[in-house]
Amino acid sequence: MGATLVVAAGPKLYLLPADAPRPLAFDVPSGPDGPLRPAAGDPDAIPSELDRAIAALGADVELRAGGAPLARALSRGLGRPVAAATVAEWRRARASVPVAPPDAARRYLRAVARAALDRALRAPEEMLISLAREEERLDRAVGREHRASEAFLTVPASPLAAYSARWSVERERWDRHLDALREEVERAARSVAPNLSDLVGPRIAARLIAAAGSVAAVGRMRAARLQLLGTRRRPSPERGPRFGILYGADRLGELSPARRAAFARSLAALAVIAARADAYTHRSIAADLIRRRDRRIAELQRRRP
Amino acid sequence: MRTAHRFAADPASPRLWRRQVGDRVELWTEPVGELPAVYGERWTEFDGHPLRTFEPARSKLAAGIHGGWSGPLPRAGERWLYLGAASGTTASHVADLVGPGGDVFAVERSLRPFARLDRLAARWRNLGPVLGDARTPDAYADLVPPVDGIYADIAQPDQVAIVRRNVELLARAAGAAVLIALKTPSMGRERTAPRHRERAEVELAEFVDLAPAVRLDPFQRAHYLVGGTWSPGGGGRAAPVIRPRPGTRRGPRRP
Repeated sequence: MGATLVVAAGPKLYLLPADAPRPLAFDVPSGPDGPLRPAAGDPDAIPSELDRAIAALGADVELRAGGAPLARALSRGLGRPVAAATVAEWRRARASVPVAPPDAARRYLRAVARAALDRALRAPEEMLISLAREEERLDRAVGREHRASEAFLTVPASPLAAYSARWSVERERWDRHLDALREEVERAARSVAPNLSDLVGPRIAARLIAAAGSVAAVGRMRAARLQLLGTRRRPSPERGPRFGILYGADRLGELSPARRAAFARSLAALAVIAARADAYTHRSIAADLIRRRDRRIAELQRRRP
Repeated sequence: MRTAHRFAADPASPRLWRRQVGDRVELWTEPVGELPAVYGERWTEFDGHPLRTFEPARSKLAAGIHGGWSGPLPRAGERWLYLGAASGTTASHVADLVGPGGDVFAVERSLRPFARLDRLAARWRNLGPVLGDARTPDAYADLVPPVDGIYADIAQPDQVAIVRRNVELLARAAGAAVLIALKTPSMGRERTAPRHRERAEVELAEFVDLAPAVRLDPFQRAHYLVGGTWSPGGGGRAAPVIRPRPGTRRGPRRP
């Protein structure tokens, strides 16, 4: 084995030349949002000292990296091809590398986790999912509160009436807050999934995406599965669950209850196509889908109720 | 009236405690963190040891131990890798079992459960959250030093192959523990649960010295706890499954 290995372990990179008795350690630089990770394939995370140390070994030394992502980062960071080591080589290299003391390792691990989480949650799609879940939660809470407060009896010109007036001011603030949140959700849904938003309405589109986990997940679903998103229970043991998120879609309420299920089935098929366009091709096909949706509504309305 | 007996520590894993209550055995672990409870579990104290319930209805590992698992368990001072930690219900108990001198690296791929896991890690001192996909261990191998045991609870059809990749890369040495909460419902509908388990064990026997599998009924439908110790050259054939004996176990308590 004449190859020189590079492995990452915690916040350090180790260089293991074939003939050196001990591995050489290099600190990985930190980025603005947290620690950089060469093992995740980031070429900026290759320290320049490592670059120099490798250059000092000579141009003809054979380099191998522990893991494909690190090999990628090294190839780009060093400007020379670096192959991934075999699992056996990698295991041997890791065994000869010191394990960081628990406290330091833990601090690094949590910082990496924090940075990865922040980076992932900052994506527009994840923002939309967070907002849509919050909107759904508040919608339920505010609706419940409105219904419950109707049961509160007051007598005019009494402390109860004064209390009721104070509480209604608070409730109006809730409503305003919810309206603002809805606008935000709708704006986000229109930018993340324009076709789906146009077809079923932005709020319903946002809820579907939140339930599925991503736009692509909606696109990968079958229409029958999409119809089931957000259903809580079966109406009876013989019949399947029906009233999912899709039942709140635009224009569904215009149909007579007997026709809604038929429309929901066609709409689910169109919604999956819309989500595929949003997730994969990024083409604007909403006009065509809306035309097909409206034709289906007209057709269902013509039938006898 | 039921009489609650004294707590007794497990000889193999001293941070795991048992208590006979009526006709059933309760499992408890000695927590690494402080109250409040992680997921609403009960806490108590015995002889100076704080304890928290390890409910078989909530955790597949507890269901397996309850059902008579004879294979390796997390022991104090060990380092474990936990694949598919979700929000950390079972992971917190594994962290309890290895204790403050050990480490648990909990891998989870979904963001929202991971955010909860990260919050839990802030007060569970030996739990390390890793945002990553168990399918690609080379993307997080730099964060996880060689481990003494791997526990997997991943809903993927190829869960055994995923575990194998992790074991081969990250297990410290032959003899490391390999535990899988085998989820046969995620493995396709072409076979019944026992057939899935048999096939998984054939696959596992190529790199694991198997302990008898435990059926997790009635706590988890169509799940098994399988595994044993890592033996790179291939382990032995599996012993027969331990089945729940009728009348000795109760299902999850209905609220």
